[in-house]
Parts: sequence; structure tokens; C-alpha cells
Amino acid sequence: MSNHEQHESAHRPVQRKEMSRRQFLSYTLGGTTAFMMGGAVLPMVRFAVDPLLVKKGEGTFVKVVEESKITTEPQEFKFKVHQVDGWYESEPELVAWISRDAEGKIFALSPVCKHLGCTIFWNTKGHNEYDCPCHDARYTRDGKNITVARLPLDEYDVKVDDGIVYLGAIKPNTRV
Amino acid sequence: MFKNVYNWIDERLDITPLWRDVADHEVPEHVNPAHHFSAFVYCFGGLTFFITVIQILSGMFLTMYYVPDIIHAYASVDFLQHQVAFGQIVRGMHHFGASLVIVMMFLHTLRVFFTGSYKAPREMNWVVGMLIFFIMLGLGFTGYLLPWDNKAYYATKVGVEIAASVPYIGPYIADFLYGGDIVGAQTLTRFFAIHVFFLPGALIAMLAAHFLMIRKQGISGPL
Amino acid sequence: MAHGHKSNEKVVFVGDSRVKKAGMFQTPPDYTAFPGKSEAFIPNFLLKEWMVGCVVLVGFLVWVIAEPAPLGYPADPTNASFIPMPDWYFLFLYQFLKYPYVSQDYVLLGTMGIPGIMFGALMLAPFLDTGKERRFYRRPIASSLMLLTLASCVYLTVVSWDHYQHMLAENNTIPEHHERADKAREAIERGEPRPNPLKKAAAIIEADDPAMSIAQAQCIGCHAADFSGAVGPALIGVGNRMTQEEIAAIITNGSENGAMPHFNDKLSAEEIDQLAVWLAKQTQ
Repeated sequence: MSNHEQHESAHRPVQRKEMSRRQFLSYTLGGTTAFMMGGAVLPMVRFAVDPLLVKKGEGTFVKVVEESKITTEPQEFKFKVHQVDGWYESEPELVAWISRDAEGKIFALSPVCKHLGCTIFWNTKGHNEYDCPCHDARYTRDGKNITVARLPLDEYDVKVDDGIVYLGAIKPNTRV
Repeated sequence: MFKNVYNWIDERLDITPLWRDVADHEVPEHVNPAHHFSAFVYCFGGLTFFITVIQILSGMFLTMYYVPDIIHAYASVDFLQHQVAFGQIVRGMHHFGASLVIVMMFLHTLRVFFTGSYKAPREMNWVVGMLIFFIMLGLGFTGYLLPWDNKAYYATKVGVEIAASVPYIGPYIADFLYGGDIVGAQTLTRFFAIHVFFLPGALIAMLAAHFLMIRKQGISGPL
Repeated sequence: MAHGHKSNEKVVFVGDSRVKKAGMFQTPPDYTAFPGKSEAFIPNFLLKEWMVGCVVLVGFLVWVIAEPAPLGYPADPTNASFIPMPDWYFLFLYQFLKYPYVSQDYVLLGTMGIPGIMFGALMLAPFLDTGKERRFYRRPIASSLMLLTLASCVYLTVVSWDHYQHMLAENNTIPEHHERADKAREAIERGEPRPNPLKKAAAIIEADDPAMSIAQAQCIGCHAADFSGAVGPALIGVGNRMTQEEIAAIITNGSENGAMPHFNDKLSAEEIDQLAVWLAKQTQ
């Protein structure tokens, strides 16, 4: 259509660029379309992206083990957390590798390999390292990545209260 | 930029006549409410389509949260309505939109009937329109089982019992709809499949046929 | 573009039957067959159509925001007090099936026969009403049949709805989606979480505790035998709302607004302490 209009106006002396009736109606139609789609779709989009906008709850600490049982050798501990996933409430079991560092400070590592998410285990190959069974990723005692993986193992928030170790949310490794 | 892309595609596929045909066709005066206010009765078809689009969109979004399972169906509906932002509005759009579609379709059908627009050569379009009407009623019927509340349960039971009273094949229809002997887990998944895949698929095919026939035959002339 | 301008620029697929050569398209048929002021579909006419659409959309959104979609209680096949009602657009059929000659021995006539004839006739209307005349007042048979059917559908719907309202009044019940909404609103006004109908009825925790017998002697008059609350609030879940000290204070001195009397003359300090410890455990 614009070809036609340009063609015709080329013969007339150029004055001002006025909007044609058709153009005006087209813009109005576009605006009305945008309004209708917006009115109908925006609530739905807000509905769909709600999980992105929900405030993350404060990590709650879960009782795991007595402080006295923790040694410098990493040990595997399982603990249950109460998880509310939308309409589904469950008590999944999580695993942490807990040990003391040289100063006696307790730290807990997540067993999820930072390479591709397999589950690591302590000292399966006898090097005093964490080994991943999938692609042979290896991590030091502190969770520092040695080969294959790009990042160190994640850490749990640790709280020691009255001789009991409590674990909280998972955070990036702070030790390496 | 946009124009270059358009031209590139147009050179290869010649798409201009496709939309030109829709955009440029002339709409006669007797259906234009700007000329005769009484012509607003010709709007109901378009409004039915508009509400149908809202139904399809809101339905797509609702399935992001809904689970068709007797343990979790009710909990997921409760969750999406009360816990998710705008859940009440999106579910409301789908719930009340269903009624509004029926109203608009009803008015559209009456307009076509009382203006005699279904007469030759438009008989086929009337039959397709009636099929759309039945598909919409089917969508309404299969839809209210999905929240799995008491109304869902009993309304489905009554509806399937009606189907079961058909001679000879009735019990088979009932078994097919129940997916077993009772209204239960298998009924819910069946109704879900029918509600979100089979009937909408049929609906879209029928709507396409409906619109193609209107474009081919044009709108019926003034009385 | 397709109107023959600069057709030398077009890619022409020689010998490829799938792509038509430019200029081969039929021009759209002439839609000015009807005399009068016709106008283009886009943008002129569609704009008018969508003005109406906007009004409908705004009205619809207001309705949807004002009125939450109903949701009853979870399906319970043993629930005999529930009065099932289909959506309004099925009510005419629902009511129709209650009448004699379409129920009992004739149920087939009601479920298949008459609706089959009616819907069949509606579907085949163009083949039954074959005259050339389109005005409804010149087609008395078709129009009057349609009006009669409409009137009976409206009548059946109204009768069915009236009967439902009557049943509700007679059984002194309110529809369960209203009941559910009311309970949720009351709970929220009291500052409690929205009740979840899927949670099993809460049970007393540690029902064999000796405090239970004290509670049964002193509290059930106001707080109900199952502690679900009557004159006084529910004691089940009281541990969510109050600490042991707060509970003990209320038992000792009565509630602040005086609705609950003090028990320091009826119970010893040890008994009150025992009761408060036990009640504080009543969490959900």
C-alpha cells in the first residue's frame, strides 16, 4: 500500500507529511489490539512468572548430628528437611559431608558434583579426595575442584548450638 | 529492516495475497454498527471468537500449575487460585469465560437463525457452527470434572449415566468415559486429555472451516 | 509486491509447479455486491468490532476480579448431603429429565429421543427450512418453533434454579463453595492461615497425657468435646497461636476480654502448668 501512496504523492508538490485516514485508523487499530492483548494476557503472564517473583524463604536450620561425632575425616550424614513445593509437601532426605578443618571449625559440603550433578563420595579411590563416579571429577577435603569440574563443591550453612550441628541453606563454597 | 525481511519472504512465498484478501475485503453497510446501530447483533460471532482465544490462552496458562491426578488435582487448583499471584483472575477468566462463550455463541446462533443466514448456499457453515456448539458444550462438561470437588464428581457421574442410558452401546460409552468402573483416577486423566487435546483440536479445525467458508461465501446480504 | 510492481525483481521458479508465478493469483472477489457504504475490513471495520471487544473485555475483567471462581470441597463419593447442580447451560436438560414420560421406563426418550430430535432438527435447520424467504416474520413455522423451544428452555432453567434454591432453604444449607469461601474469610479475619480442606481433621496430640482428663473435666463445656471449638475457640492447634506462658496466663486469669473465666480457683498451679504444657504441644 505504501508503494501506491508514495507513487501518487511524488507527482504533487511536497508540502507536509500528513497522516492519511487509513494510517490513522491502522495505528488506532494497532493500539486497540495491544490494549486487548495486554488486558487478557498480562494477568496470565504475571501468573506464569510468579515463581520468579516469590520471595525466597529464610533458610531454616535442621538438626543433623552431635558435634562430638564430627572428626577431621569427612563423614556422610543424612538428614530430612520439610519441603513445601507448591501444593506438594514432602520430607526429602539430603546428604552432607561434614568434617572439621585444621582449626577445628566444622564445615559441611553438598555431595552434588559441580561438573554435571552426579553424587560424589569421599575417598573411593584412596587418595583422600572426593571422587565423582561419572566423569572422574576430584575435589580436595575443602571441596576445591582438582580436575574436570569448574567450581568447588557447595557448602551448607552450619550452626552449632548446644553441642548439636544444624545445617541450613546451600551456598557457594567459601573455603577455597 | 522489517520491510526487507518481509520482501525477502514475499519474493519466495508470495504471502501478500493471503493477508490482503482478509484485510481488504469490503464489509457491507448493513452489518456495520456505525451505520445502523441494530447491526451490533453481527458482533456476536467475533466476540465468541475473542472469548475463545481468551479461553485457549488462560487454559494453557492454568496447565502450568494444574495436575490431573485425584490426589493432587484439588490441591493444585486450590494452590493456583489462592497462592499464585493473579491465580484467582486467571482461573476466573477460564471459569466465567466458559459461560460467556456459551452466551455469545447462543446469541450468535440466534442472530444467524432469525436473519435466515443459514439458507442456501450457507447450509454447510450452519452445520459446522452447530458442531462447534456441541464441542463447546463438551468442553464445558469435561472441564468441570477437573477441579475434583464435589460438584465435579457428581456432575460427571450424572452426565455419564445419561450417556449410559443409550441402548446397546451405552454401557460401553460409560466404561470408555470412566476408564474403569468408577469415577476415579482414570476418569480424571481421560477427561483431562479430552478437555485439553481432543476437543480443542477439533474446535480449531472447525473454526478454521467456519472462517474459510465465511471468506469464500461472503457475509449474507441485507434483509 | 504482489501487484506487479517491479515484477522483474521477483524470483521466478521456472518449472516448479509448487510455486505459482507472479501475477497468477486471482484477485479477491468483488465484495461491493451489496449497495451502500461498504468499507475495508482492516482497519476500518475491525476497529469498530474491537471497540465492542474492548468494552466486553473490560466488563469481563471487572467481573472476574470481583467474583472468585467457585471451588467446593474435595470430591467425596459418600457425601449424601451435597446437591449436585450442573452449570447453568445444562440446567434445562437436567430439569427436563425429572418429568414423567421422560424418566423411569421412558428414560431413553428423555436422554436420547427428545434431545436427539431437538438438536438434530437444529443442526439440520437449513435442510428443513428451505424456502427462499429470510425474514423471520415471513417464516412463521421455523420462527415459532424456535421461539417455543427458547421459551421452554428458559422455563426449565428457571424452574430448576428455583427448585435448587428451595432445596437449599429446606435443608438449611448453603452451597459448599460459598461455605468454603466464608470459612476462609473468617479464618483470615481471625489471623489464622487459610483452612486447607485436604488436611485431615486435626487430632489431639498426646491424648493419653494426664492433662487430657483435666481438660475433659474443665474445658469441653466451651471448647467442645473434640476441642474443635464452640463458644470458645478451638484448642486443637492452639500451640500455633500461643506459647506455654500465654496459655498458662489465660487459664489462670481468664482471657483479656473476659469471655473466658479464670480457673485459678478451680485448678491448682501444678494442674494449670500441666495443662499449659500439654496445650502448647497442640500444634498443627
